[in-house]
Amino acid sequence: MGPIASFEQRPTISVPFRFLLTAPLYGVAAGLLLAWLGADALASRWSSGALALTHLLTTGFLLQAMFGALLQFIPVAAGGNVWRPKLLVAIVHPVITTGGVLLSASLLAWHPGGLRLAAVLLALGSAGYALAIGMALVRTSATGAAVRLLRASIVALMVTVGLGVALVQTLAGPLQTPFVETANLHAAWGLAGWALLLFAGVCMYVVPMLQLTPSYPAWLGRVLAPGMLASLLGASILALWPSDFAWQGAAVGVGLLLAMVFAVTTLWLQHRRRRPRADATLYFFRSAMLSLLATGGLYALRWTWDGVQAAAPMLIGVLFLVGVLVAAINGMLYKIIPFVCALELQRQRAPSAKPSMLQFISSKAMNGQWYLHLFALALLLGSTVLPVLAQAAGLAFAASCAWLEWNLLEAVQRYRGLRGPVHAIVAVGES
Amino acid sequence: MTRLIDGREMVPPEPLELTLAALDTLPEGEEVVLLVNCHPVPLFEILRRSGSTWTETIHADGTHEIRIRRR
Repeated sequence: MGPIASFEQRPTISVPFRFLLTAPLYGVAAGLLLAWLGADALASRWSSGALALTHLLTTGFLLQAMFGALLQFIPVAAGGNVWRPKLLVAIVHPVITTGGVLLSASLLAWHPGGLRLAAVLLALGSAGYALAIGMALVRTSATGAAVRLLRASIVALMVTVGLGVALVQTLAGPLQTPFVETANLHAAWGLAGWALLLFAGVCMYVVPMLQLTPSYPAWLGRVLAPGMLASLLGASILALWPSDFAWQGAAVGVGLLLAMVFAVTTLWLQHRRRRPRADATLYFFRSAMLSLLATGGLYALRWTWDGVQAAAPMLIGVLFLVGVLVAAINGMLYKIIPFVCALELQRQRAPSAKPSMLQFISSKAMNGQWYLHLFALALLLGSTVLPVLAQAAGLAFAASCAWLEWNLLEAVQRYRGLRGPVHAIVAVGES
Repeated sequence: MTRLIDGREMVPPEPLELTLAALDTLPEGEEVVLLVNCHPVPLFEILRRSGSTWTETIHADGTHEIRIRRR
């Protein structure tokens, strides 16, 4: 059989952008929901508000951004061709968008029928996407750490979705599973598996190339994906079957150690970058890595010191979701969107199109939004111990995500402005 | 004659932009030599569409040397 598709079928700009421009809107919704619910939402990780907020970020912000980023990343970085990307997005985007909203709404208002439908939509959308992306990743001739990590992240996504469906069937259906253990594993596979492995895969490629750093050490690229998967698998087996607490700690510890080594290595590489000028993506990635170190430290402390037990779950959740993943995606979006816009104009090869990536979003706007993100993160962390801050934290987070959306839309607007005259010139030239 | 673009210390897509600009004014029979640290898939896609030909050599230090000629 020949190649899956030709390069002519590489996604056009609208294909990844549909996901990428939807993602921050979920962040705005999550922030406004927190501002509306106030301190009650953060009283416990099991409260309906906390579950709705978490899933607005995970099945909304993160899923949309990661699906869009992979569609662009795989052809460019891994040389893989995704089967019928336009058709894939035309189906998957509305399905997961509806599923994400419905899941959070059903968790908030407790509607078992809505939960079941949301689970079906998210499972079908994710499975279809994982199949198409998985095939591209399996069939690409590219090798290396980034491809290995992306493959592992797709495996983790499917485990996460499977566990999520099992949880919904336990809450709103006939299935009987150990709920707390399954929920913990669902979160672990989703956050430390799917999201972190994908972020690590993108970093292995993007950090040396776009931030002009030395390459990641080869051994880290070899051990990160199998090590994280082994840690998650070990923790899953030990959590669902009666086992020694120390063994569970060891399984989790391997994953934590790998995540922290990855964070320290990235910070070290960024410190050694050859171009001294810093940009917003560097700031976002750095703050994401520092948050990852703090998350790991807090998690380790939780195993060894009872004093942090009460506040730890919410702190860890906020640090990892907003401090690590939202920041990482924010930084990624500020590279991907201008890069794709510039590349697309170059691809059209018109004489007037000599755009630079710097033209699309102003540094001032991106840096300003990073400060607002940090402010929102500080308020969110503070609100886990001082609930009175919850509403202000929600508003700040919504404002940060709205500013991100605005900046991305500005880039698209500028792309359209540059593309317009290009088409006119080409049309005149061909007449 | 050869035009050399050392893109190893540039942030993508700057090497791609410079290469395409150089190709626009490249006299017949000459070639552009691009040095980068990665396998530049987007550039190859554009070259393929425009009918340009190229060869790629990967050196021991990880440098990709791409020699491009216009058709």
